[in-house]
Amino acid sequence: MRSRPLITLRLTTAPTQHIGPGPHGTRLTFPITGGSFDGDRLRGTVLPGGDDWVIQRADGVLELDLRITLATDDGALVHMTFEGIRDDAAPGSPYFRTLPRFETADARYAFLNRLLAVGTGELGADGPVHVIEEIL
Amino acid sequence: MESRLLMTMQVAVAGPQRIGAVPHGTRVTAPIASGHFEGPRLRGKVLPGGGDWTLLRADGVLELDLRVTLETDDGALIHVASFGLRHGPPDVIAALARGDRVDPATYYFRTTLRFETSHPAYGFLNRLVAVSSGDRRAAGPLYTIDEIL
Repeated sequence: MRSRPLITLRLTTAPTQHIGPGPHGTRLTFPITGGSFDGDRLRGTVLPGGDDWVIQRADGVLELDLRITLATDDGALVHMTFEGIRDDAAPGSPYFRTLPRFETADARYAFLNRLLAVGTGELGADGPVHVIEEIL
Repeated sequence: MESRLLMTMQVAVAGPQRIGAVPHGTRVTAPIASGHFEGPRLRGKVLPGGGDWTLLRADGVLELDLRVTLETDDGALIHVASFGLRHGPPDVIAALARGDRVDPATYYFRTTLRFETSHPAYGFLNRLVAVSSGDRRAAGPLYTIDEIL
């Protein structure tokens, strides 16, 4: 599968909301307070107010469901979502992989509406960091 | 990003249901009649009853929302959900619509996939995400599906 770098996304989060056990597993949310993103074709900040709505499954894997708004340094807004999983018990190192999608009205960034992407996540000292690549 | 081949999957699409212009675009539902899949770790058939729920957006991009059940040669059932985008130059898309043989390198047909199974031999599928490249043959798409490592 061919890919090329799109952005490195760094998120800052507020304390986890522990909603607790529900019909699908244990519900948590990771509120997003901000962050930044950087890449060859776009860069800027993450607006506060997004969240990652998570279910911890019976097998321990976290199912991720994030929605955030990106603000580019030249004034475009981009709606970004991803689904994904984080399996801390994966052999070797956590398997933290996401499938981002984007929507924007800004013609300069319309290419984001036409691509699919894959992200590799890591829990950095200041919050989650996602290295996101465009699927070519 | 590192990946490795998971499987190829060929589906056969039955007559499409053209629902038409709906608020989000043009809705066409493609029932899946049959198919087969093959890879280093699993192989078998695509059961009838799945489908690809497609939406042609105003910007010319086709969104594809596929759900099928796979049955492995050793009797495991696997639920597959795949979200995809397809777009290309107008003449290429027109050739696909006619059922012509078209080089898949001339258009963008990519999907992201998730799997669910209760069979212990295939539990690894519950703990990965996958990406595919589609080749829209006349009888139905052929997907080359890679596991994201």
